[in-house]
Amino acid sequence: MTEDRVIRVEPVTRLEGHGALTIRLGPGNKVKDIQFNVSSTRFFEKFLEGRPMEEAPRIAPRICGICPIPHHLASVKAVEAAWDVTPPPAAIKLRRLLIEAKQLSSHAIHFYALAAPDFVFGPFADPGVRNVAAVLKHLPDVAVQAIKLMEFGQELCRDIGAKAIHPTTAIPGGMLSPLSEGDRDKWLRQVPEMMENINKTVELAKKVVNDYIDVVTKVAVTPTYYIGLSNDGALDIYDGTVRVMDPEGKIVADFKPPEYTEYYGEYIPDHSYATHIYYKPAGYPDGIWRANTLARCNVNERMATPLADEALKEMRGLVGRPSHHTFAYHYARVVEMVQAAEMIQRLLEDPETVSTDVKLSDVEPKAGDGVGIVEAPRGTLLHNYVSDDRGMLVRANLIVATNNNIAGIEKSLMDAARFVFEQDGLKELSLPEPLVKT
Amino acid sequence: MMAEPIPVAMGQGSSCWGCFQSLVDMHLRLADVLPLLDIKYWQAVVDYKLEDLENYPDKSIVVGLYEGMARTEEDVHLLKLMRQKCKVLVAFGTCSCYGGIPGLANAWDIEECYDVKFRENKTFSGGKVPTENLPPIEPVVHPNSDYVDFDIYLPGCPPTSDLIVKAITALLEGKELELPTYTVCHYCPREKKETPIPEILRPFRGNADPDRCLLEQGYICLGSATWGLCEGQCVSKGVTCRGCFGPPPPITQDQGAAAMSMLGTYAPLEPEKLKEQVPDPLGCFYRFTYPSSRLGRMRIRREELKEASEE
Amino acid sequence: MATTAETKTQDEQWEPRILAFCCNWCSYAGADLAGTSRIQYPTNVRIMRVNCTGRIDVDFILAALEKGADGVLVSGCHPGDCHYTSGNLKLRARWALLEEALKQAGVDPRRVRLQWASASEAQAFADGVRIIVDQVRKLGPMKEAWK
Ligand code: SF4
Ligand code: SF4
Ligand code: SF4
Ligand code: FES
Repeated sequence: MTEDRVIRVEPVTRLEGHGALTIRLGPGNKVKDIQFNVSSTRFFEKFLEGRPMEEAPRIAPRICGICPIPHHLASVKAVEAAWDVTPPPAAIKLRRLLIEAKQLSSHAIHFYALAAPDFVFGPFADPGVRNVAAVLKHLPDVAVQAIKLMEFGQELCRDIGAKAIHPTTAIPGGMLSPLSEGDRDKWLRQVPEMMENINKTVELAKKVVNDYIDVVTKVAVTPTYYIGLSNDGALDIYDGTVRVMDPEGKIVADFKPPEYTEYYGEYIPDHSYATHIYYKPAGYPDGIWRANTLARCNVNERMATPLADEALKEMRGLVGRPSHHTFAYHYARVVEMVQAAEMIQRLLEDPETVSTDVKLSDVEPKAGDGVGIVEAPRGTLLHNYVSDDRGMLVRANLIVATNNNIAGIEKSLMDAARFVFEQDGLKELSLPEPLVKT
Repeated sequence: MMAEPIPVAMGQGSSCWGCFQSLVDMHLRLADVLPLLDIKYWQAVVDYKLEDLENYPDKSIVVGLYEGMARTEEDVHLLKLMRQKCKVLVAFGTCSCYGGIPGLANAWDIEECYDVKFRENKTFSGGKVPTENLPPIEPVVHPNSDYVDFDIYLPGCPPTSDLIVKAITALLEGKELELPTYTVCHYCPREKKETPIPEILRPFRGNADPDRCLLEQGYICLGSATWGLCEGQCVSKGVTCRGCFGPPPPITQDQGAAAMSMLGTYAPLEPEKLKEQVPDPLGCFYRFTYPSSRLGRMRIRREELKEASEE
Repeated sequence: MATTAETKTQDEQWEPRILAFCCNWCSYAGADLAGTSRIQYPTNVRIMRVNCTGRIDVDFILAALEKGADGVLVSGCHPGDCHYTSGNLKLRARWALLEEALKQAGVDPRRVRLQWASASEAQAFADGVRIIVDQVRKLGPMKEAWK
């Protein structure tokens, strides 16, 4: 048999976005090629052109309904950078609260709804069972704790952003609506319960990681570069410099957003509508980097809050720094969830968060070129707009979180596939009993 | 006694997944709704593949939701497949009902879109349009209703979780879905005095009076041209409405035309001034409905004729 | 050969189809007067009477273009002379937005024309008709413009 075997997985499920996998196996199950085929694109870069630039933060969130808040904020920051506008401090606190609330709910949904079914029912259970609906049926306590975390995050987003999905309140120069003291108090009252659910989540995550330590340390261990925002070495998702770490763990770049074109390379593959972003000085494919939870934890020395920092240390004790373990992304997600929770508490307790001084009234549009970078749950997100002297958008370049990861996903899938097909590694792997047997 | 779960499916075309997220945002009510469902296809939630959906008997799924617009041939296929397999098919969200924000791409040729996406931008140059193992891109976005008939339109970008719960509950019970037909203004707490507008302001200008109608203060607000199923989420937080729920019933109305007529009535300014102060009517009044609007239809026809003449 | 000849005649035979909305109080009367005073104007227009141009929704214009009119003319009372005070000013503002939207959507705004003509200005009305017919004739059939 010399014919190659092609395995096509369509669609890729339980993953946000539209894609398929194409795996090509040669004789002796040799994995020849893996493609992650992102199968659609909608041309936001084009149709943002010609719009008054302040409308971009109301349009761009539709790039992703799972992480519309990072888009809203990266977009408004890009406009402000182009027009030389600095919003009042209270507005920035509100935006930070908004993005942390999103981080919390997004990580919760990802951990519980997308990843949990595998370890609850075991990765080989029937698809009719291996899903979040079944988690709800068999482990209602876990499900309720997950839902409450998501609810906390999403509803807090709604209070600040007017809508939790596709928020509308951030505007060049600040926020259109302050947070009322009444609303702030309502959220403060819910903090203790939220914290309790966070602690339970950490316990669950630790158990899962320890149960699956064989999988974490043996499957899809893929050295790459990493990219993430950093606030002087502490993990920050709203602002900072962009750090790049090489596969050996050395920080090779630490730059300000406007300098991104020196460091970001964009490769246009023939098999995906989503492009591959990489570390430009190293070239493609050598410079393939990954973003997202683990990347942020890798590039930063520490977390910005105490409990999260403890959790990070514990994680590093297991997987080291840098960690190239693809499955450690789930662990890092929980570490970040802790930071989001602590940040939310800190911001809610800060009196400035309810200041009504949240918007400038004298913003002037002008010709400019602005870059806005924030961390979306799935990685570093960049919006770059150019405006004319009326403040109309003439050119946009968008580098969304996912594109930082696609080449890395292919790389780690390749490692996983070799393990499965070439080394028949699944046989050797020690898997725990599923939490629930079906 | 619990009734048998009802077979349902969700198809996701080219979309942002926001409609899906809004469904998840029903939070604890999920615990009531999920057990009623026998999910037959839903890429975000269960591992069934396209092949599984293709193999189900026709009309074997009781309720199907279709999120997103049809940007690729694969989207069109999935949309038609959903129609074939589902008894009741819901156009789920504004993209599915009217083409939505991504439908704005229709204002350009597809080649112009490819240029900034794949050929030349700040981080790359000289790229080619990807083709390997990918579904071809449709040259123009048709409204989904050009491909299939829907039984129900549930607009919103995204539809609110409350609206989704209401719709799903009615559908599962086999009842008629009755929705109020008011516009956003109906739910807006701001005072309206019917005063004409002396000047149109961009939304970052000044500081708006929190109690007065935003439109009357000069900020373009599409509340009166928009179906109020959101109950005025933005306007009650100081933000103008951009019309994300599309026109009120009958939803075949042209929301953009209605909004322009409304603004002309409120702001009878000198034409030159108005053109200067409203620099982007298409992106403002047709943001969510361009493909299904009259202007959008003219554009689609032009693309079709172009294709026909190339063949 | 026959086909070429046929296409040619078809092209030559094409006549712009223009829909005109005329205000009952001025331009409709003006159009009437043009008729009775034997002032010539092209026969390409179909006139619809409205009670005031303020009654004209942007949708009317777009519907006409979408359904096959090659051009649209609106004729109303001079600013200041509207029988309902400011109906025409409202329409004029809508018109400004419409023209920009047409441009953005790739439809030449010279396919639409807004003019003022009082009941006694039969000649002005007729001249306006000639202008839009000429403009649209140069632009060609709406269908062609879509290519
Ligand atoms: S309607 Fe809005 S929320 Fe739904 S898929 Fe489209 S852009 Fe996303
Ligand atoms: S136009 Fe806007 S601000 Fe004014 S009443 Fe309507 S929804 Fe409220
Ligand atoms: S107020 Fe307008 S823009 Fe905001 S959610 Fe409602 S319909 Fe959409
Ligand atoms: S009455 Fe003639 S335009 Fe108003």
